[in-house]
Amino acid sequence: MNTVKEASVASLDAEPYIAALQEPGFALEFRRRALALYAQLPLARFEKSDLSRRNVRAFKAAPAAIEDPSAWFRVAESHLNPQDEHPLIVIADGSVVHVRGVEQLALQGVVFCSLREAVNKYPDLVQKHLGTVVSSDENNLIALQSALWRDGVFLYAPKNVELAQPVQLLAVTTKGGYGTFVRNLIVADSGSQASFLDSYVAAATLEDELQVGVTEVVVGDGARVKIGTVQDFPRKATNVLVRRARVLRSGQMNWVVGEVGDGYTVAEFGSLLEGEGSVSTSHAIALGAGRAHMDLTSRMVHIGRFSESDTTARGVMQGKANAVYRGLTHIRKGAGGANGQQSEKLLMLSPGSRADAIPMLLIDENDVKCGHAASVGQINEDQLFYLMSRGISEAAAKRMIVWGFVDPVLAELPIDIVRKAVENVLERKMA
Amino acid sequence: MANIPELKISGLHAEVAGKEILRGVNVTVRGGEVHAIMGPNGTGKSTLASSLMGHPKYAVTAGGATIDGEDLLAMSVDERARKGLFLAMQYPSEVSGVSNANFMRMAVNARLGAGNEVPVLKFHRELQRQMKTLSIDASFAERYLNEGFSGGEKKRNEILQMAVLRPRIAILDEIDSGLDIDALRIVADGVNSLRGPEFGLLIITHYQRLLQYIVPDRVHVMMQGRIVRSGGRELAMELEARGYDWLKDELGIVDETVSVNA
Ligand SMILES: Nc1ncnc2c1ncn2[C@@H]1O[C@H](COP(=O)(O)OP(=O)(O)OP(=O)(O)O)[C@@H](O)[C@H]1O
Ligand SMILES: [Mg+2]
Repeated sequence: MNTVKEASVASLDAEPYIAALQEPGFALEFRRRALALYAQLPLARFEKSDLSRRNVRAFKAAPAAIEDPSAWFRVAESHLNPQDEHPLIVIADGSVVHVRGVEQLALQGVVFCSLREAVNKYPDLVQKHLGTVVSSDENNLIALQSALWRDGVFLYAPKNVELAQPVQLLAVTTKGGYGTFVRNLIVADSGSQASFLDSYVAAATLEDELQVGVTEVVVGDGARVKIGTVQDFPRKATNVLVRRARVLRSGQMNWVVGEVGDGYTVAEFGSLLEGEGSVSTSHAIALGAGRAHMDLTSRMVHIGRFSESDTTARGVMQGKANAVYRGLTHIRKGAGGANGQQSEKLLMLSPGSRADAIPMLLIDENDVKCGHAASVGQINEDQLFYLMSRGISEAAAKRMIVWGFVDPVLAELPIDIVRKAVENVLERKMA
Repeated sequence: MANIPELKISGLHAEVAGKEILRGVNVTVRGGEVHAIMGPNGTGKSTLASSLMGHPKYAVTAGGATIDGEDLLAMSVDERARKGLFLAMQYPSEVSGVSNANFMRMAVNARLGAGNEVPVLKFHRELQRQMKTLSIDASFAERYLNEGFSGGEKKRNEILQMAVLRPRIAILDEIDSGLDIDALRIVADGVNSLRGPEFGLLIITHYQRLLQYIVPDRVHVMMQGRIVRSGGRELAMELEARGYDWLKDELGIVDETVSVNA
C-alpha cells in the first residue's frame, strides 16, 4: 500500500498547475494546504473497500487538454433534453463547455455559476463556506481533490428566495487518466428554497480514471434544499464521493442519490443535522452490473434537538456486482427528541451478485426515536408466480417487480430527463 | 359450434418440500360446467390449484393434466395462463410499485399477443366498467397491486382480474373467505355473468353459501390428497348439515389430512 502512496506523491508536481490558476489568495491557500495534507496522509482506508488494489494514480496534476470539442456531447447526449429550459452548466474534462439559462436567476439575486468563476467573483461567500462541511483532511483522496479540484458549481440562494426551477450540473469525462475532481458548493440562505441536480457520466470506453467528488451544502435556517445526484462511470473508474450538508435550524435537506455505474465506488451522502428541528431525507438507488463494486453509506448525524432524518434505499445487483449499503444514523448527546428512521432493501438478481445491508445506529442520547428495516434477498417466488399466472412472461414479470421495487426512489428524481437516464440504465442492466 | 374448453386432471400426484400431498386426483371440467371441491383443512385443495397453475414449489410426480387436449404440465406458468387457465388465489401476493391497472393491462396484452394489444383508452374504459360491476372503487386502479388491500378487497381484485382476462377455465380458491355478505353476492354475480359454454369453473370452498349463488353441477370432496366422494349439489348441502365425520366413517378414514404416515 505504501508503494502506491509514495509513487503518487513522487509523480505529483502540482504546484505549477495551482500557480497558473489565477485564483485569489484564500483559494490558493486552500489548495496548497490540502496538497501538503495529501503528501502526509496515508491512502484512504475503508472497511469494505480496498483501494490499494485500484489504480488510484489514474490522474495527473493538470486536466486533459480538449482535442475534440464535441466529444463531450456524444457522451452526454442522452442526458440532455433540447426542450428543457432550466439552468444548466456542463463541465467536460474539468472545464465549462456549455451554459444555459443562468441569466434569469440573476434577476432573483441567485448565483449559479462555475465554482472557479465564483472564487473570483464572490470570494467572500466562497471563502466563508468552502471546506467547512467536508474537511480536506478527511482522507488523502479528499485532500487530493481539495488541492486539484478542476471545477464544479456554486449555487447561492439569497434569503427567502425560492428558485422557480431546478438547476443542473452535468459533468462529463471523455478521457481517462487525468482525474475527475468535481467540487460543488451549495449555499441556501435562510428561508430560501432550491433544487439542484448533478449527473456524472463518462465515455463507456474510459480507461483507468480516479474520480473524487465533493459536494458541500449549507442549508440555512428554515431553508429547503433538494439535491438529486446520479453517478454513472464505467468499469475502470475508481470513484470516491462525498456529498454532505450542514442543516441549520428548521432547515430541510432532501437527498436523492443514484449510483448506477459499473466502476469501483465508495460513496457517502447525508446530512449533519446541526440546527434544532432540522430535517433530512435521503432516497438512494444503487444499480450494479458487471463487476461493479458499490460501498455506499448514508450518514445522518443528529446534533440539534428534535432533528429528524428518514433514509430509504433500494439496490438491485446483477451479474457479479457487489454492494454494501450502510445506513448510519448517529444521534449525538444533546440531540434530545431526535428521530432517525431508515429502511434499506437490496435485491440480487443473479447468483453471482452480492449485497449487504448494514444498519448502524449510534445513539448517545436517551430521549430519541430510532428505527430501521433492512432486507437483502432475491425476487420473491410467490410474486413472480402471481404475475406469471396472469400470462406475463418471466422476463417481463421480473422487470415489473424490479421497477416496482425501485419506484419509491425513482419517483423522487426531480427532472424528467435525469429520471429517464436512470431508467435507461436500469433497462440496459436488466437486458 | 362453440369452442368448448376442457381441463382434464388424471391421476395427479404432487409433492411439496419432499412430502407427497396429492395422491391421484381425477376431475374433468368442461366449458359450461361448475365443479366444486370441498374438504377439511389441509387436505390438498390449494395444492391441487397451485400444481395446476405451475407454482415452482409443487412438483408433479405422477399423473397428468391437459387443457384442450394439450399437456398442461409441459407449459410454463405464463403459457398456462395464455392458454386460458386462471387461478384466483387463496392468498394473492402484494407487489409494491406496480399499479393494479398497469398490471392488468400487461396481462391482457400478454394474452392477446404482440401486435394485438388493446388500445390504452379502451382498456381503461373496460376496466372501469368491470370495477363498477364489482363495486370496486375507481381509486383501486392506481393503487399498487394488492398492497394494503383488505382480505375482501384482495378477493374482489382477483375476480376483477378474471373478468378482465376472460379465461376459459377458472379455479377459484376460497374466493368467499373474507367477503361480507353483500360482497359475496356481488362477487357471485360477477362470476355468474361470465358463465357460458366457453367458460368452465372449479370452485374450492368450505361453505355451501357460495354454492347457493353459484350453483355447481358437481361437488367433490377431497381428503388425504384425493377425491373421495363426488355427487350433485345436494352433497354440498349434506356436508353443510352434517359435517365430514359421517363421510369419514363411511370411508373408514381416521385422519383426513395429508399426514406423512398416511
Ligand atoms: N409450500 C408448502 N410447504 C410445506 N407444506 C405445504 C406447502 N403447501 C402446502 N403444504 C402442506 O400440504 C398440505 C395441504 O395443504 P393445502 O394448502 O393444499 O390444503 P387445503 O386443502 O387447501 O387447506 P385449507 O382448506 O386450509 O386451505 C398441508 O399439510 C400443508 O401444510
Ligand atoms: Mg387452501
